[in-house]
Amino acid sequence: MVLKASGEPRSDDARDDSPRRGKGRPRTTDGATQSLAAILELVRQGAASTRQEIERESELGRAIVADRLATLTALGLVDESELGTASGGRAPRLVRFREQAARVLVATLDQTAIGIGLADLSGRLLMEHHEAMDLALGPAAVLDRLCAVFDWVLEKHLDGSTVWGIGISAPGPVPIADDSRFPAQTPAFLPAWDAFPFVESLIARYESPVWLRSSVETMTMGELKAGAGANLQNMLFIKVGKRIGAGIVFEGRLYRGAQGAAGLIGQLPVHAGGQGGTIETLAGSDYIEREGIAAASVGKSAYLADIVRRGGEITAIEVGQAAQMGDAAGMEIMSRAGHLLGHSVATLANMLNPALIVLSGSIVQTNDILLAAVRETVYGESHPMVTRDLRILRSQLGSSAGLVGAAMVVVDGLFDHATLRGWILNGSPLRHPEFAEAMTNAGRRTQAMGGGSETEPGNSRGAPDGARLS
Amino acid sequence: MAISGLGPHGERAAPPDRIALTREDIAEAREAKFKVAVVLHTLASDWSRQQIAGIAGTLGDCSTVVVDVVDCGFQNENQIAALERLAHQKPDAIISIPVGNTAVADAHRHLARAGVRLILLDNVPTGLLPGTDYAALVSADNFGLGQIGAELLSPYVSESGKVGILAYGVDFFAANERELAFVKWMQKNRRDVALETLRFDSFQNAGIAARRMVEQSPDLAGLFVVWDQPAMAAVAALEAAGVDIPVTTVDLGRDAATNLARGGMVKGIGAQQPYLQGIAIAQATILSLLGRNTPNWIALPGLTVTQANVVESFQTVWRAPAPKEIVTPSMP
Repeated sequence: MVLKASGEPRSDDARDDSPRRGKGRPRTTDGATQSLAAILELVRQGAASTRQEIERESELGRAIVADRLATLTALGLVDESELGTASGGRAPRLVRFREQAARVLVATLDQTAIGIGLADLSGRLLMEHHEAMDLALGPAAVLDRLCAVFDWVLEKHLDGSTVWGIGISAPGPVPIADDSRFPAQTPAFLPAWDAFPFVESLIARYESPVWLRSSVETMTMGELKAGAGANLQNMLFIKVGKRIGAGIVFEGRLYRGAQGAAGLIGQLPVHAGGQGGTIETLAGSDYIEREGIAAASVGKSAYLADIVRRGGEITAIEVGQAAQMGDAAGMEIMSRAGHLLGHSVATLANMLNPALIVLSGSIVQTNDILLAAVRETVYGESHPMVTRDLRILRSQLGSSAGLVGAAMVVVDGLFDHATLRGWILNGSPLRHPEFAEAMTNAGRRTQAMGGGSETEPGNSRGAPDGARLS
Repeated sequence: MAISGLGPHGERAAPPDRIALTREDIAEAREAKFKVAVVLHTLASDWSRQQIAGIAGTLGDCSTVVVDVVDCGFQNENQIAALERLAHQKPDAIISIPVGNTAVADAHRHLARAGVRLILLDNVPTGLLPGTDYAALVSADNFGLGQIGAELLSPYVSESGKVGILAYGVDFFAANERELAFVKWMQKNRRDVALETLRFDSFQNAGIAARRMVEQSPDLAGLFVVWDQPAMAAVAALEAAGVDIPVTTVDLGRDAATNLARGGMVKGIGAQQPYLQGIAIAQATILSLLGRNTPNWIALPGLTVTQANVVESFQTVWRAPAPKEIVTPSMP
């Protein structure tokens, strides 16, 4: 939505990138853009929630704040309908960011499953769905299924709202290949997906910007914004599974490194019991599973042997549960893996001095032994200043962290200060001039590469194939 | 039988064997004399009655008292009020089937944070997390049930036919899974078939929805309805309109089973095993109250029910002999 000359909202269809003046509109576009963006960010980040607080934090005058809030309200980005608590005089009006102003589509791609969700502009998930999907089927099949479920989500849950962005969590590292504000080119993130216009197809189909990040990066963002790391500036996130990776939050932002490869710690060398290998091979879920099966077969673990006798399968999860139930062999395996992991984590902790270390992954979620072993090693091998107030916790979001984090990546991208200034006068990031350019490029590349989803685009927004009967 | 779907947060399913109670567990539970409340979407369905039978029997074996059974009438407000009331009564645990999504999330979350152990049946409101907000979810393999519905309907649909889906308008994990799985199966195995979806917000409206669907698409070759009660409402409405099309659905309720047995419009059913689900959730509740680990998601496979096996399936699901109208049905 942009504003009519009268200050009233114009329809979304009337695309126009030029700022318009109307009642309550700023006279100086540059100054107005700056102050609108600054006020919106104060409100969105929770730094100010009344006009007085905005005036104080922004150092803008009362009239300007009133004018900008009128504009932001007309744009549907803030809401002043609620009253706060009075402290002596009249109760102040609360200024709230309208998280429901638009929606964000999110997805996680795993080797054997996909997850799909819809979030609001705070990153809060409104729905999520997961299903088995073999990534080896190739990019066209995955894109087709992703689009089919995205379309279903939009048809059932969008309720007249608009999608402002799509966040995708990928199973491996995502190289930084396109540093433009709205990336319009698929990076080389999966070897077998080279030359497939994955990102381009999504942009063209949903007419929304797309951000792609690794699963460790999205989970880190999820934990930072909505989990244990809320409001922290420095955090370390460790994902433990078949692969082991780290996510680094440095001064409040996700640190991706020069190539997008920051935190790839799985190949770090470790030694245990005269055996040398990488942290993944000696502490990852494959190792835990292998050791668990061995313990069951030689009669070292009654708990695990019982699972086999009942026809069950031993995975790292079962070994973790055995440890939790006090099974000696299970405890030993988890403790050994935890201490090895702890050595690598301690090195990172000494280097980065995080306020919080979050361990994640289903093995960590289902037992305490591994977490305890990591804690013991990190506290024992770190400088006292590093561990003075250091907390080491398990993930608060579990397997939803990837979807929540993918939404947060999109929200950060949309409200990045420079990006926000580029669209705020138009009321929607979809009217940012650089996004229009990204759309054109994505469309051109999709056509040139002859790829994309096999299903027809255009049925996802505004043309639902279902109907509702109340 | 393998579980086809994933849990609400992408979990892999654990089989109910994983939460079997040992003699020691039962003895310990009998000592503790726990109190449990049950909060269901409705008490008026065969599915609910079977669930309660499984829950009450298993808890009874553990000297655990069911202090309250609440019928929410599919209404969010009723459920929120019931949970608030129960939070004051402080039973040791509550078994609940959340009737909605985000609207009832906070009511469930507050309960768990007030120290009442929460075990969920069939649905998890988005944002609630296992371990933190609830101990475990027990459900059928709803994705698998949707696939069964598609597989059973497919032979009745000729080349390039049109198939209708009567889906639930409320955001509900189990119903969503069935709908998505039905569509996925058709898109994968019957790309020639055209699909049309209509949503109903209460099962009483399913008949109106079915009528509207056949009015819009007189050439409809088949219909899938996401559970048996709305399916039977749809069948009644279609019969009244003189329309006879094959219907598949989920849940082996008595009316749907009778219709299937007598060769009516219902051609196949993906059946849950509500009695066994009731046992499983009672076991998960006891283990959780004893401080034992429970898997995040325990799922039971669905049964494929056709006219050929409806009698024995009825016995399996209902744990009782099938009534006469199913054993020796009068054909239409």
